Amino acid sequence: MVEMIAAWTAVFFTLGIYSLLYRENPWYRIAESVYLGVAVGYGVSVDLLYIRNQWTGQWNDSAGMMLLFAIVLFIGILWYGRFNKSTFFLYRWPLAIVVGTGIGLALRTVIDAQFLQQIASQVRTPFYVAGNMGATINNILVQIMVPSVLLYFWFTGTARESAPMKVVEKIARYTMMAGFGSAYGYTVLTRYSLFIGRSQFLLGIPPNDPENQLAFWIIAFIMLASMIGWDMTHKKAPVA
Amino acid sequence: MSIMDKINNLDRRIIYLLAWIFVLYPLIFPLGLPIPISSDARAWHSYVENNIHDGDTVIFAPMYGTSGMPELFPMTVATMKHILEKDVKFVVLSFWTEGPLVFNALLRQVDPADYGKVYGVDWINLGYIPGSETAMGALATSFQNSVANDYVERRPLSDFPIMENIYTATDIDLIISFETGTPGAPEWLRQWNTAYGVNIIVGCIGVSVPGMIPYVTSGQISALMPGLTVSAEYELLLQKPGLAVAGVDAVSTSHLLIVLLVVIGNIAFFMTKEEEK
Repeated sequence: MVEMIAAWTAVFFTLGIYSLLYRENPWYRIAESVYLGVAVGYGVSVDLLYIRNQWTGQWNDSAGMMLLFAIVLFIGILWYGRFNKSTFFLYRWPLAIVVGTGIGLALRTVIDAQFLQQIASQVRTPFYVAGNMGATINNILVQIMVPSVLLYFWFTGTARESAPMKVVEKIARYTMMAGFGSAYGYTVLTRYSLFIGRSQFLLGIPPNDPENQLAFWIIAFIMLASMIGWDMTHKKAPVA
Repeated sequence: MSIMDKINNLDRRIIYLLAWIFVLYPLIFPLGLPIPISSDARAWHSYVENNIHDGDTVIFAPMYGTSGMPELFPMTVATMKHILEKDVKFVVLSFWTEGPLVFNALLRQVDPADYGKVYGVDWINLGYIPGSETAMGALATSFQNSVANDYVERRPLSDFPIMENIYTATDIDLIISFETGTPGAPEWLRQWNTAYGVNIIVGCIGVSVPGMIPYVTSGQISALMPGLTVSAEYELLLQKPGLAVAGVDAVSTSHLLIVLLVVIGNIAFFMTKEEEK
């Protein structure tokens, strides 16, 4: 019984979110609000659980650690100063600590991890790969296109007006268009993958609960009938 | 209004309806389209098969929430099955709040006990660790100071035999991270790979792939599992077909629809432009 209620509830909220594809409607509003509420509530609860575990697990061992924990907790509470104009300035302190720590920690290795190693990789790319024409062409393109895009963003002013730079700019533009096209293609893949995953859930394809399929057809019919029925009786032109 | 004008002003809901049909039909009536195995799937399979040695300790990190499950969950399950067949110890953790929920869902399909793995001895679940990249950096310097209790039994880490040999990042041989965004691979690279030389393999959603490729080319990421289609290929390589294989027909038909719509839309756009001239 519990499984059945869970399955029907999950199907209802999934279809409630997808009902936006028809138009803005109360089913969608309910699903959206509940989803956001649950997500935020869950996030807060697991953060609080972590704080409690840290306290019981290691911070309450000595007076010094208890004091440190109190200070950390106080700094954490300052985040909530953001919700009131008179206490807004307090929120800047935890923000400064978090941003400062994060940047400091990232800067320690970012130059090597995301700058030097990428340059080294580019330099190591051979122009010719024996016995592999595809890789050779790919590498030649990489060796032309990557520097072109870098030059496109580096040179400004009169240097940009020179004849060689016009060629470089054109190559860079085509390179970036290819890059954006690739990103778009992969985005479509991801969006459809999400849709396919939810469709497998709605159809109850194993290991999903087979009960889902019945819930899917019934709830989909009710939602669609209610929205189309409302539009027909109120003669409201559908939004294109 | 000409037919081209009608196409240009097509009600978006007709496109959505077509999308539903092109996805649902192959799921209800599987087409059995061929699934060629790509080099990405082979590289991932080969890495897990040959580069994870007996006695290694692996971090298994589902770094995504329920919204990422449709694309990432099949590859997470398949990889877990693969590493369970090996004599390795693994630590499950996530820097995403919903990561533990994802892993609980995984446990409903794959039970490590079926592979002879004992909780606390062969594997442990540390659950969610808040703090994003800062927490990643802290964990690398000390597991015991960053996590008080395990996620399953809520007991101190010192209670578990597996943690007797795991203190810092240097005790970890590989990170297997499945992720939808930040924190993810760049943060792992900065805090674990560059700083401690820990190898990383990454399974990611399609949107992230163009951003990951430079790290694969440079060798910073040892193997990449890009999206649902490659998951299906990996399931076939493992000879354990699962949700990804079941969904790959729908991937093909839905992409066919997109290509058709792009072609028809362009023809309509340019023909209308010609008519206007």
